[in-house]
Amino acid sequence: MKRHHLLRRRHVLSRLLLSLIAIVMLVPLVVTFLYSFFSPEEIKAYLQTRGNYDQKAMMDIVLSPKVASLDQYYRVLISDNSILRMFANSAMYTVAILLGQAAVIPALAYALSRFRFRGRDAIFFTIIMLMLLPFQVTMVPNVLTLRAIGLLNTVWAVIMPMWFTPFYVFLIRQYMVGLPDELLEAAQMDGAGTVRSYFHIVLPVCKPVVGAAVALSFADLWNLVEQPMTYLSARQDLQPLSVMFNQLVAQPSGIEFAGAALYIMPALLVYLFFQEDILSGVQLTELK
Amino acid sequence: MFTKKKSVLLFLLPGCMGLMVFYVVPFFGGVWYSVTDGTYKNSFVGLQNYLAIWKNQMFLLGLKNTLVLSLICAPTVWLLSFVAASLLARIKPAGALFRNSILLPYLMPSSAMLLIWLVIFDYGGPINRAIAGMGLERVLWLEGGALRVPIILLFIWKNLGFAVIIFLSALQAIPEPLYEFARLEGAGFWKQTFSITLPMVVPSAFLVIILEWINAFKIFKEVYFIGGAYPDESVYTLQNYMNNMFSKLNYQNVTTAAYSFALIVFALFGALFLTQRRLMKTLT
Repeated sequence: MKRHHLLRRRHVLSRLLLSLIAIVMLVPLVVTFLYSFFSPEEIKAYLQTRGNYDQKAMMDIVLSPKVASLDQYYRVLISDNSILRMFANSAMYTVAILLGQAAVIPALAYALSRFRFRGRDAIFFTIIMLMLLPFQVTMVPNVLTLRAIGLLNTVWAVIMPMWFTPFYVFLIRQYMVGLPDELLEAAQMDGAGTVRSYFHIVLPVCKPVVGAAVALSFADLWNLVEQPMTYLSARQDLQPLSVMFNQLVAQPSGIEFAGAALYIMPALLVYLFFQEDILSGVQLTELK
Repeated sequence: MFTKKKSVLLFLLPGCMGLMVFYVVPFFGGVWYSVTDGTYKNSFVGLQNYLAIWKNQMFLLGLKNTLVLSLICAPTVWLLSFVAASLLARIKPAGALFRNSILLPYLMPSSAMLLIWLVIFDYGGPINRAIAGMGLERVLWLEGGALRVPIILLFIWKNLGFAVIIFLSALQAIPEPLYEFARLEGAGFWKQTFSITLPMVVPSAFLVIILEWINAFKIFKEVYFIGGAYPDESVYTLQNYMNNMFSKLNYQNVTTAAYSFALIVFALFGALFLTQRRLMKTLT
């Protein structure tokens, strides 16, 4: 009886700690949305109280607007399209890269997991080594190729190398290795070849891990910084919003919170749509 | 398993060609740059570039900061995520809401969080308000060495969730009867932790630390958001150095720096791998 009581008390502590973590995680997002409904003038005035080194002065903690307003959204979406243009750049990179990855990566994972051929293990080993290399290292071979084929400072410099991101090959391959042999043998008995097996059996069965890979890749691409900064250093007009945020913030005009909120929304949708896939994808993959 | 199928090339070639063209071939081809002097004659200089870069102050500063920041970030995320996952595993199945809110930031663009971060860490912002409320001296979070704090916290905020998910799935995969049996044998909480939980999560723990470490090498992102393209010396990372050399078209320097860093990274991960192997042996 006493032991049981102790156990329950411990759970209260666990819940308390977890609530604390959850709140810390959510507050920045909630406040960003909250501030996006302030009028541009009010939020601009508030942001200007930053950087005051007076020992007595503090920023107010503001949690409700004088007047709730959609003015920030109106400006971002309709009257001033500078943020929208960078948003479109972000979307263009994300879609172009995801489409290429979808065409190349599951197919490569399929070849490396369901076929037996000479050199297979060597290829897989190479992919793991590439996965371990940080961007500071892999950017160098990327740049050498891009320069040789004349694609530096074009959008393809960002897009093409990322079609072959090794981590997602690894992730999907580990999942495909775990598929039961009977599944494909039954298909073979029915006369399905390698191509039909891929499209009609392997891909549908791999939906969770492919979904997880799409979501993880999206998260990475929607926050793209290093590649456009390095490969498109001469092209300010091609930069995605993720690169430009800190320049917007340097001279706030009061619409940045709506820009941030709008930038978060697609990520929120992707999260809601793929949440289950991320969880089961990670759970079912032999990540060892 | 398909054997002797020509059609494998259909699936294999697009990906392999891309990996060869963009990664593997230029990686080895680039070695040539690092051993030549880059002048008109482009003569062979042996390891001279490597010796020079190990004396280059900016390279060493970037390397040091990158290693220090990653040495703070990766283990912190690793430990915190293990704690959070253990708490979540304990209160299952009611933990879904907590789990989802911890995972959420992983999908969020941290670039969009910059604004709120600048408010939170302002000299007169909420954090300093709390510090002053406790009667302590306020801190200039956005200048000098203290810049590391908001940068590291932004990194942790974004990256914690995925690590928690990996740990959680490892913890939930441990069969419950193992614990029941141990309890029957009279094993207490700590005994159970050391003889069941830890050995079962070692592979995942290894994966998490590797993934987080790779991620932490990319902390340039957070540095750039908060510190700008030309940040304070205390957060000047290797990527800053590489970008700088790259804009000067100094390919000798870029390749030499990259291969030097690659050697360090492989040494680090190699050591981690050996540690894991030894740990598995002693625990089982």
